Amino acid sequence: MGRVVGIDLGTTYSLVAYMDAQSGAPKTIPGPYGSSLLPSVVSVDAKGKIIVGEDARDRLLTEPELTIYSVKRLMGRGVADIQDELRIFPFRIDVKSDSVIRVNLGEKSFTPPEISAFILRELKSWAEAYFKEPVDRAVITVPAYFNDAQRQATKDAGRLAGLEVLRLVNEPTAAALAYGLHKQKRGHVAVYDFGGGTFDISILKLISTTEGDIYQVLATNGDTHLGGDDIDNALMDLARREIQAKFGVELDPRGEDVQTLRKSLIRAKHELSSAQKTLIEYPLGAKGMYIREITRAEFENLIRPIVARTMTPAKLALADAKLTPAQIDEAVLVGGSTRIPLVQKTVGEFFERTPHRELDPDEVVALGAAVQADILESGVKTMLLLDVTPLSLGIETMGGVIAKIIPRNSTIPASAQEMFTTGVDNQTAIDVHILQGERELAKDCRSLARFQLKTPPAPAGLARIEVKFLIDANGILQVAAKDLRTDEQHVVEVQPSYGLNDTEIERMLEESIDFAEQDFAERQVIEARTEADSILAATDKALKNAGSSVVTAEERVAIEKSEAELRTAMKGSDYKAMREKIDALNAATEHLAEVLMNGALSTALKGKSLDEF
Amino acid sequence: MPLSQPQTKRAEGVPVTSCWNCKGAVSGTHFCGACGKIQPLPAGMDYFAFFGLPRKLTIEPAALEGQFHMLSWKLHPDNFVRAGEFERNLSLQRSSELNDAYRTLREPLSRVEYLLEFLNLRKEGTTKQQAPPELLEEVFELNEWLDELREARTLGGEVVLLRGRLDAAAGNFQAKLTEVDAELAALGAQWDAALDSGADEAKRTALLTRMSEVLNRRSYIRNLVDGVQQEIAAA
Repeated sequence: MGRVVGIDLGTTYSLVAYMDAQSGAPKTIPGPYGSSLLPSVVSVDAKGKIIVGEDARDRLLTEPELTIYSVKRLMGRGVADIQDELRIFPFRIDVKSDSVIRVNLGEKSFTPPEISAFILRELKSWAEAYFKEPVDRAVITVPAYFNDAQRQATKDAGRLAGLEVLRLVNEPTAAALAYGLHKQKRGHVAVYDFGGGTFDISILKLISTTEGDIYQVLATNGDTHLGGDDIDNALMDLARREIQAKFGVELDPRGEDVQTLRKSLIRAKHELSSAQKTLIEYPLGAKGMYIREITRAEFENLIRPIVARTMTPAKLALADAKLTPAQIDEAVLVGGSTRIPLVQKTVGEFFERTPHRELDPDEVVALGAAVQADILESGVKTMLLLDVTPLSLGIETMGGVIAKIIPRNSTIPASAQEMFTTGVDNQTAIDVHILQGERELAKDCRSLARFQLKTPPAPAGLARIEVKFLIDANGILQVAAKDLRTDEQHVVEVQPSYGLNDTEIERMLEESIDFAEQDFAERQVIEARTEADSILAATDKALKNAGSSVVTAEERVAIEKSEAELRTAMKGSDYKAMREKIDALNAATEHLAEVLMNGALSTALKGKSLDEF
Repeated sequence: MPLSQPQTKRAEGVPVTSCWNCKGAVSGTHFCGACGKIQPLPAGMDYFAFFGLPRKLTIEPAALEGQFHMLSWKLHPDNFVRAGEFERNLSLQRSSELNDAYRTLREPLSRVEYLLEFLNLRKEGTTKQQAPPELLEEVFELNEWLDELREARTLGGEVVLLRGRLDAAAGNFQAKLTEVDAELAALGAQWDAALDSGADEAKRTALLTRMSEVLNRRSYIRNLVDGVQQEIAAA
């Protein structure tokens, strides 16, 4: 078995971390550019090759049509759900999308879990390069307020990336775990997690027992579509209105110009976390230059409604935990958007204390995931997370009304049993519709799945089928049914409303093997080129220094021919051909290498004998 | 047509006499005393028994919470990630039962409701709720005011006065709710005492029946208060 890691699959950035055995502390793993933040951006080049991260983000400016960001917003959602997002985000949705969204990327289209799998696979390769060992299992974090479909989509993404998902952990809970290691804390802790695309608030109780520490989530709430993206969009609205008014230029929200503007707006947003004012600059070609000074006060006025939106979930979570703000002992800030001074101030005022920000808000979730991964992997439990389900689970009853069977904020795993029977004579199937949400009517809640219970024809009301609904430790629903009259276990084939079924996953897994092969081939090409480079350099040097006494003219011609052939092979992407030419060159230089080796030896011996004199 | 009947909370599982692993007789509640393996849930084990408690209605919250944490530490799926599928499922079953049991027993109201449901003495929602006779007059008056308020709202009449009257009435019923809760607590104490003194079946059933009646009254008043508050908010 390979190594196990913790992964924060974020809207804007994703990270991978592991538990360092020597220091006993979790650490993030850097990528090839030295940073441990992988931009959650995926692009495709002209040849259909997938590009992830920094390089893909650069392509947002040059090839926006072939690049996708913030795909987390689409996880576990249907086409009808995302109409609002489509007005703001340049997602290119495949017209053939049905219950599962498909996004066009070049000539192909992918589901959000497949796109997320590209990001996960990149992180996996970072970790494998770091450990020089395969990585095959992971703990992946999700927003606490993610529903069943969004969680399932994340789990599917892990599977498609070749990772066994040991556990999905809620992001704020993971952060609390990382903070708990950092500094022992007791009592009630509020974790305010304001990220790139999602907002979560979790209220935890930290308990010391004789066995170890327990992190018990009392309540959680949030908004899976509220984050730094919304702040960027508010700035974007402002800039576009002003550009329209001043220059008469209407910017296409899905064009590449907007991406350039977006980049400079994000830079301005970052600067305003430390500076009192900054400049937004955006060239408009012949029309001139949009230059705009923005002060922190103006920025704060602009984003105040967005920050205020985080307070409703915060109040609801506190109410569900049956606590007042004054009863919170510690508040912890997580997520990049908590770098904004207005956010810190708002949270501080609400909880009546200065919130903690000692740990890097971008890294803390991944660090916590690594801690949980280590606990599950090692089997040595030093602490225990008791998390909750964020939304009530219900089933549709007559008249489209929901009967709640597992209330929100129930500690998971949680279960409920319901008895079903027939309503008319000789009815052979009972429809069951499962939903998640807090509203009274089915139409206002999130449809999770439907299934049918089969029963032999009989008078109405005679059938007795017991259905057990169980939410596992990942927050994912399992359903089992039993016919109480025959004591037979029913096979329940659940058709997810917004997810992939097993057949689709299998097919994608097969496709992903192609990608894995492509990845493998690429790595081989890179390695072969590197090796060829060093052999060619060494041969050139040897030929240059070797006199005719060492290498014959014939030999020289043969070597130079092999070199030329290798250089030609290197221009292609066939690593096998490169390997052949490397071997051929090695064979051609065998004699030369031997002579040089002897020469070096005799020089060394001569040197020694000289010393002795 | 889906027909969801009221839940009769029965702990699931199969009767256990010997350990699935070492075949020895199982003495512990959750684990085999001999080999330490987690055991399937026995049929008919109620939430009280799960916590090793008698079916008493007075439960010390801190003690219950401590027990919940202790059992969580032992039964949680985290402990069984590396175990086989069979044990993983047992952990899932046991830990979900633990969480369901704790959620139910920690609140006095859901605790007494559970006890009655478990003993098949209460089926909420099966009979249409009737106004308790002693409240009939007040309920009648309240409904009249509510009608007037709805009428005033649609016709654009005076709502402030009506709202004030309804507010006062809602407060009045809220106070009745507190009384009912006190009555329920007293009955609960009598039940506990009856268990302690080994009172006969008839006496215990009588107590349970009274508790069921009080619960019906409580849920009637609760719905009434909620309804009035909704109307006031809408006006």
